[in-house]
Amino acid sequence: MFRNTEMSASLQDRSEPRGEPVIRVKDVRKAYPTAGGLFYALKGVSFEVKRGEFLAITGKSGAGKTTLVNMVTGTDQLTAGEVWVGAVSVHQLDEDRRARWRGENVGVIYQSFHLMPMLTLLENVMLPMDFCGLFHPRESRERAYELLKQVELADHAYKLPSEISGGQQQRVAIARALANDPMIIVADEPTGRLDTVTAGVIFEIFRKLAEQGKTILMVTHDRQMARRVDRLLTLHDGVLVDGNQPA
Amino acid sequence: MMRPRWRKVLADLTGNPVRTLLVVLSIAVGLMAVGMIIILHHGIGEDMHQGYAAVNPANIQIRVPAVERDYIDHLKKLNGVRDVEGVRVFELRIRALGNQYKPIKIKAYTSGDRSVINQVRLLEGRWPPKKNEIVLEANRLGDTRYRLGEEVEIKLPNGDLRYLKLVGIVNDQTIGADAGGAGFFLAPIQGYILEDTLSFLNQPEEANLLLVTVDGDANDLTYIREVADRILDDLDRNGIETFGTVTRRSIDHPNAVYVDAMTAILYLLGFLVIFLSGFLIINTLSALLNQQLVQIGVMKTFGATRLQLIAIYLTLVVIFSLLGLIVSIPLANLVAYFEFNALAPKLNYISRGLRFVPQSVLIQAVIAMIVPQMAALIPVVRGTRLPIQQALSGISGSQEQQLSRFSVWLTRIRGLSRPAAISLRNTFRQRVRLALTLVTLALGGAIFIGTFNMRASLENYIARLARYHIADVNLSFTEPYRIDELSRVILGVPGVKAVEGWATALAQTVQPDGRSGETVLVQGPPDDTVLVEPIMIKGRWLLPGDYRAVVLSEVFLEHYPGLKPGDRLRLKIAGKEQDWTIVGFYRFAGKNIGLTAFTRYESLAEATHTYNRSADFRVVAEQNAMSLQDQEALAERLEQTLADKGYKVQEARAGKSLKQRTTSGLDTLTNFLLFLAMLMAIVGSIGLTGTMSLNVLERTREIGVMRTIGASNRDIMRIVITEGVLIGLISWVISVVAALPVSQALSRAIGEAIFGGAFPLEYVLTGPLIWFGVILVFSTVASILPARNAARLTIREILAYE
Repeated sequence: MFRNTEMSASLQDRSEPRGEPVIRVKDVRKAYPTAGGLFYALKGVSFEVKRGEFLAITGKSGAGKTTLVNMVTGTDQLTAGEVWVGAVSVHQLDEDRRARWRGENVGVIYQSFHLMPMLTLLENVMLPMDFCGLFHPRESRERAYELLKQVELADHAYKLPSEISGGQQQRVAIARALANDPMIIVADEPTGRLDTVTAGVIFEIFRKLAEQGKTILMVTHDRQMARRVDRLLTLHDGVLVDGNQPA
Repeated sequence: MMRPRWRKVLADLTGNPVRTLLVVLSIAVGLMAVGMIIILHHGIGEDMHQGYAAVNPANIQIRVPAVERDYIDHLKKLNGVRDVEGVRVFELRIRALGNQYKPIKIKAYTSGDRSVINQVRLLEGRWPPKKNEIVLEANRLGDTRYRLGEEVEIKLPNGDLRYLKLVGIVNDQTIGADAGGAGFFLAPIQGYILEDTLSFLNQPEEANLLLVTVDGDANDLTYIREVADRILDDLDRNGIETFGTVTRRSIDHPNAVYVDAMTAILYLLGFLVIFLSGFLIINTLSALLNQQLVQIGVMKTFGATRLQLIAIYLTLVVIFSLLGLIVSIPLANLVAYFEFNALAPKLNYISRGLRFVPQSVLIQAVIAMIVPQMAALIPVVRGTRLPIQQALSGISGSQEQQLSRFSVWLTRIRGLSRPAAISLRNTFRQRVRLALTLVTLALGGAIFIGTFNMRASLENYIARLARYHIADVNLSFTEPYRIDELSRVILGVPGVKAVEGWATALAQTVQPDGRSGETVLVQGPPDDTVLVEPIMIKGRWLLPGDYRAVVLSEVFLEHYPGLKPGDRLRLKIAGKEQDWTIVGFYRFAGKNIGLTAFTRYESLAEATHTYNRSADFRVVAEQNAMSLQDQEALAERLEQTLADKGYKVQEARAGKSLKQRTTSGLDTLTNFLLFLAMLMAIVGSIGLTGTMSLNVLERTREIGVMRTIGASNRDIMRIVITEGVLIGLISWVISVVAALPVSQALSRAIGEAIFGGAFPLEYVLTGPLIWFGVILVFSTVASILPARNAARLTIREILAYE
């Protein structure tokens, strides 16, 4: 079953030619209330990301990296500014519309994997398809299996997350992020909990996805890894210190 | 293939069996309570109505001095009369346990085969008895030790003994049908013979009680009274005096008043249990959602809308409810089955056993589908409303580490060991959860304590009866004796301090149209009596010099609402109608007992033509505060002495026996209340187990830290159990306070239902003390499982904890 919802409008972006800006972040500010007053995690950040670009966001701990990608994925509300993904102004969507839009257009990968412990790997990958209803249940199962095959975990499809290693869990999280065939993949410290060898494997998967035309935003403070992407954004105290630095 | 989201629901259900069990049990207990009450109400009501109607009960009972059989045949021809039976009813005494003689009420039928009204049900042996044989009623058979085939010893008023062969044991559902609410409980041992045995017991053969069934609607009291009036008119025309008339519908089992009172309260408590289990659901679901905040955040990240998330968690609750329902339906039936059988002999109805009551299942199902969902909606909506980032951090608003002023204040308490300080401060960390747990436990405790208060108040209320029967022994004789003469004899018995001769008569109110109304027991103590301590409601007590003055019990005010001191009441005593002046109203035992009145001895003796004589003597012992056993021993001595001197003693009854019998009837009610209070305590304990489990789960990391710095299994367990017991103790304090209004509400409801008015409340320490023990045990037991879980956590699990 293919559900053509209004939120899938940005799917049209998938046909946008490579090189066109797909993410536009304009003067984004984010403040958190604290006992000492408002604390600005982002102090007016602006940048654009082109379709198919592999972008890394780096900076010291507390620089605002995660806050920035949360603005792009719409998992957090900005205080001021605009975030456009394709033709959709993310900052203007209500929570439910944002959830549906994100489910269909953005694949999110966390440092802690965040797999559902009670679901098998196959079911974990099927979950986003289940919520968004873009695929028929039978089709979603086949697709999930295919995605697990791509990350070389098809043999473990019916295992629970607790039965596989951290690196394998992160590969499942990548497969899950790809479930609804999103144009954008956002990964927040995806290799932060992995050893160097496994981190390398994960990075290669991202590299291949970028080659296939996916736009990838990756938060990392691994400078080695950051050097291997198309472009590097460096944040310092909520300010973009270098937004156009090629890796 | 099942969709992943529903697979998650299933996994949440099976992944934590203890949590599932707790939620299912808390739902099931509430449903079970309501289901069981519906089955009992429906079943007992049905058994009482149908079972009573099936014995063809008399709609009208008229006491007369004596009527011939021919006249009874004449009455059958009256309009509206379906059938009439004349029986002879009289009281003798039966050899009971030991050497005691207890009163026995014997009914003599014309012929057992012909007896169609007030039928008895044969339990053992045979029916009807033959000449010089007797059949006994099962309910008070325990007061004797007779078995089938044995000779039953009956003592006649002149002291002669007669022996009748016991040939059958029957159940008589009409016991108490000729009296007020407590008739069954006050009734003596019942025996049944045929008229050809009457002469053997020195009794006349004429009938003195007319049992009448009406032809027409036997459940229309107005119609029954019309027929009764017709019969009374006819008796009047034929010059036959009447001593009392009782009318009753064919479905009105004498003990129905207790069932009505009981079910009203039980429904209230049953729904309270449901309400409490709702709190548990809120608590458990809040914790479940707190644990799953990260999952909620992840699901939202991958496109789950709030509605989808709400649907996931409400589906989980629906499954919990269905499981609760599956447990509660058979459990309600099972408990009801035991209650049916336990209550049947106590309330004198025949249980037809367990049956399917569709209303019970339906109402349980409706409650199961509404209440848990409504309760769950609060935490579910709150949990799914959290912004993704907050959800992903795994910290809900309520969990944030902001300490309340109270928690800060607690840090000032010095002298506590570190583990004790941890327990104390942990108790107040989750304030909403703590509040819900406390409400559940405290309400259960308040009802438990309230039940004890109510029981004490009931006993105290019944003790009022004793204020009008202060005598240690009441002696009644088959004929009146000179008061001065008999008093000398009685005073000569060792242990007797004083004696009073009272006048007693059954009167009937006379209606404005001249017809006889209700029966009134009129008692006339001497002016200098020390055996009555009345509680006045209106007007005053009797004074020396009053002429034909009466003080009436409060039941008159209910039956004749306009009545007031100064009014005149027309009474028919010993066949003569006279006007009596009402001087006051006293509080007695409400509608539990019929109409009663007091007048001066002189006035009643004049009305009954028994000047200076009495058949009713009240004896005061030298020993103060005698026990029931001591009173019974004195009664036996008195009886023996008087019988030896040739006086015809009808009965020698211990003063406290009346109170004992009435109290035992009300025990059924209080025991049931205690059962429900215990159910609430169980719900509360399940809640506490849930709370402690969740507290432990949320503090996994802290427990890990404590373990790494050297806390032993014992230390961890002690911290958790102390916290649980602390919660239990706080709830105890609240429940002691909350018991005050709860006791009042219970007493008011039960007082209205049984006595037609609230009775003064008595507060006793028994309830709080027992509840203290119960709560200590329950809170310890409820904390052991979570404490063991906490102590078992390995460092690996703690590190893996998200």
